[in-house]
Amino acid sequence: MLILTRKMGEVITIGDDIKVIVLDIKGRHVRVGVEAPRQTKVYREEIYQMIKDQNQASSQSHFNHIDDILTNFKGIIKST
Amino acid sequence: MELKTTRFGTINIDDSHIITMRGPVLGFEKLRRFVIIDRNEEAAFWWLQSVDDGDIVFVVVNPFLIKEDYQPELQEEDIKLLEIEDDSETLLLGIATLNSHPPEITVNVRAPLVVNWKKKLGKQIVLADNSLEVQYRLQVNIKGI
Repeated sequence: MLILTRKMGEVITIGDDIKVIVLDIKGRHVRVGVEAPRQTKVYREEIYQMIKDQNQASSQSHFNHIDDILTNFKGIIKST
Repeated sequence: MELKTTRFGTINIDDSHIITMRGPVLGFEKLRRFVIIDRNEEAAFWWLQSVDDGDIVFVVVNPFLIKEDYQPELQEEDIKLLEIEDDSETLLLGIATLNSHPPEITVNVRAPLVVNWKKKLGKQIVLADNSLEVQYRLQVNIKGI
């Protein structure tokens, strides 16, 4: 892993068109700005972890009667 | 082909129905081939069975059915990756989780599996819209779980 030390306001450039800017540092919190082309996906890492956890949980939704529950659902689904 | 599964026993699947993932189902990176198992045409929920690992099966639902205002926006690179030419050949699947305590069903509407049904190519895509929930709760009365 490449490790760089940056001060507030300094920038890291990734490739030709991605910039990561250190906007603010307060205690243990760092505010970071990311400038990237529209098609570049920029997400917090936590979202991927949440999705992985959810996928894992779905693959373990295997208790008795699940078929009955699922097949009887049509028509009574009402979103919140 | 014949497929041994934990949930359904040994089943016969039509090879032409196998969906090949062009990107991972997150956390299941090694599994690239899946089939949709529709146990009952009337059912809102389907199963997405791994072809590579008979133990792994997900519960999936059409997200448009559970969220009226659902408007997922796909990015150009994903459309290209999945070789999508027409919306009508695209199938979206929300991965659902059933919890028994407390009894509830949640659906991941933030990262649906997007499938090019014509070419049988798929990918779990994290949508840019961060108002969409990974655990979107369905309001249902569930008995027996």
